[in-house]
Amino acid sequence: MIVAILILFFTSLSVEAQKFKQPVLISSAGQSADVKLVKMLAQRQGLNATTILMAKSADLTGFKTLIIVPGFSSKGLGAAGISQQEEMERVKALIKSANDLKIPIVMIHIGGSARRQGQSDAFNQIVAENSKSMLVVKQGDEDGFFTTISKAKNIPLTLVVKIAETEIPLGNFFK
Amino acid sequence: MAMIRNHLSTIIISILTAAMGVIAAIAFGKMHHPEVLYPSASLTSKGMLSDYFDGITGTNGDTEVYLYDSGVAGGTALLCGGTHANEAASFLSTVVILENLRVTCGRVIIIPRLNNSAFTCSDPMEGFPSSYEIPTKNGTRVFRLGSRVTNPLDQWPDPLVFAQYPSNQQLSGFETRNINRAYPGRPDGTLTEKVAYAIIQIIKKENVNIAFDLHESSPEVPIVNVIVYNEKYEDIAMNAVLGLEMAGLQFSPETSPKNFHGLSHREWGDYTNAIPFLMETSNPSMGRLRGETNVDLVLRGDCDNYKKAKETGALRIAYREETGEPIEHRVGRHIMGFIELINSYNYYYPEMQIVVENLPDYDMIMENGVGEYLKN
Ligand SMILES: [Zn+2]
Repeated sequence: MIVAILILFFTSLSVEAQKFKQPVLISSAGQSADVKLVKMLAQRQGLNATTILMAKSADLTGFKTLIIVPGFSSKGLGAAGISQQEEMERVKALIKSANDLKIPIVMIHIGGSARRQGQSDAFNQIVAENSKSMLVVKQGDEDGFFTTISKAKNIPLTLVVKIAETEIPLGNFFK
Repeated sequence: MAMIRNHLSTIIISILTAAMGVIAAIAFGKMHHPEVLYPSASLTSKGMLSDYFDGITGTNGDTEVYLYDSGVAGGTALLCGGTHANEAASFLSTVVILENLRVTCGRVIIIPRLNNSAFTCSDPMEGFPSSYEIPTKNGTRVFRLGSRVTNPLDQWPDPLVFAQYPSNQQLSGFETRNINRAYPGRPDGTLTEKVAYAIIQIIKKENVNIAFDLHESSPEVPIVNVIVYNEKYEDIAMNAVLGLEMAGLQFSPETSPKNFHGLSHREWGDYTNAIPFLMETSNPSMGRLRGETNVDLVLRGDCDNYKKAKETGALRIAYREETGEPIEHRVGRHIMGFIELINSYNYYYPEMQIVVENLPDYDMIMENGVGEYLKN
């Protein structure tokens, strides 16, 4: 128990200390519209960020951090003209390249329960497990999905209540 | 003798039928008289849509246009209610804004009954009430609840297949009377297309910068509780969605589909310089799962069928089990959406500001009711 509390304590400490570098590439995993809100949050914080909804490995050139916003949307995939499987393959390849290039991945999940379970969780899981930090709107972690990954993989997790409240911690990652 | 008796009953039945006809005609005629609205003191002039395209002069498609000019140089906003006259919160939100609005920079133009003809009938086979009442400080206001589409008396018959102009996109014949499939319209088309054309003319002639089209939809459709935006103006939409979320209201941003033609958020954005936004609230009285369709359902928006449907989890349904979707909630959302989108627009276009004041916010409407903000 004490160990658990200590781990939690140090986890939260490391959240404070965690810093990432700009420029930032923002991409989606599952093509939900949430990525567009994250783009706006980054803009509000004045981050040097570029958003490519379907970023490929080659797009990573020159970037020092990769933000991935997971969440499945059949409409988003339809608009992009790709299948769920193709999207998953793209995401896997992007994550692998980022890891190879030592570009840290930050996961931002803002879609709440609407972007959980169903076809979203496969995207949520692969992005969360490969991230260096997670920023999550609480409603998406009501069952402890992200908390469990955070503990198992020792990845710092920041929980906020509202989407708009992710803005400050997002900005702090880069300050 | 039997013959006389036969004639007598024929005469009596004829007289009774004629009397019923007269009563029905009076009631029917009333549907063509729009309810009186009470614009705020900021109103500077009132005109008609036919001032912008005289091809609709004297038709049922002509409709009132209210202009609020602050006298201070800035941008121009156009607010439209009643695209679909069966969507109560669309019209009512516009009326609340019209009766309270103060503009201190730029101009606001309000068209409360965009498809005026649709307010003169109701949808067949749907069992909709033809009006609803809102209690106010000084009594009761009665508002018409109309149809989704232009009155068939004004435009008939429908083609079997409707070919949208100019895209030639094929839709069911019924949609030929849906003004939100008719943009950009044409001056020599159907009445619906002429009204759509007139709307494009007012946007162009008044140099409208930002335009709103208010709607409601069934809880079970995918496009509900949304702000639909033309892709050119994504930043304004996203910024407003975040502002609204801070105020406790969740709106999903939805891009206007590029290949779905005739809709305001697509064609106003493509045929004019205006930045268009369409908002949808959730109205259980419009849904396929609804039970008894009455004024109570329209105004209180609570429905056991939707509660049950939501509980099964089989469908994604925009319905709040505890509170339902009452008219205060729906009007409050529309007004907050209007305010936040204008705030967001002002952030991106500081040289073309539009400043609106004196509008009740969501919490005020939830607490005091819509009637509190209706004059008279
Ligand atoms: Zn509508």
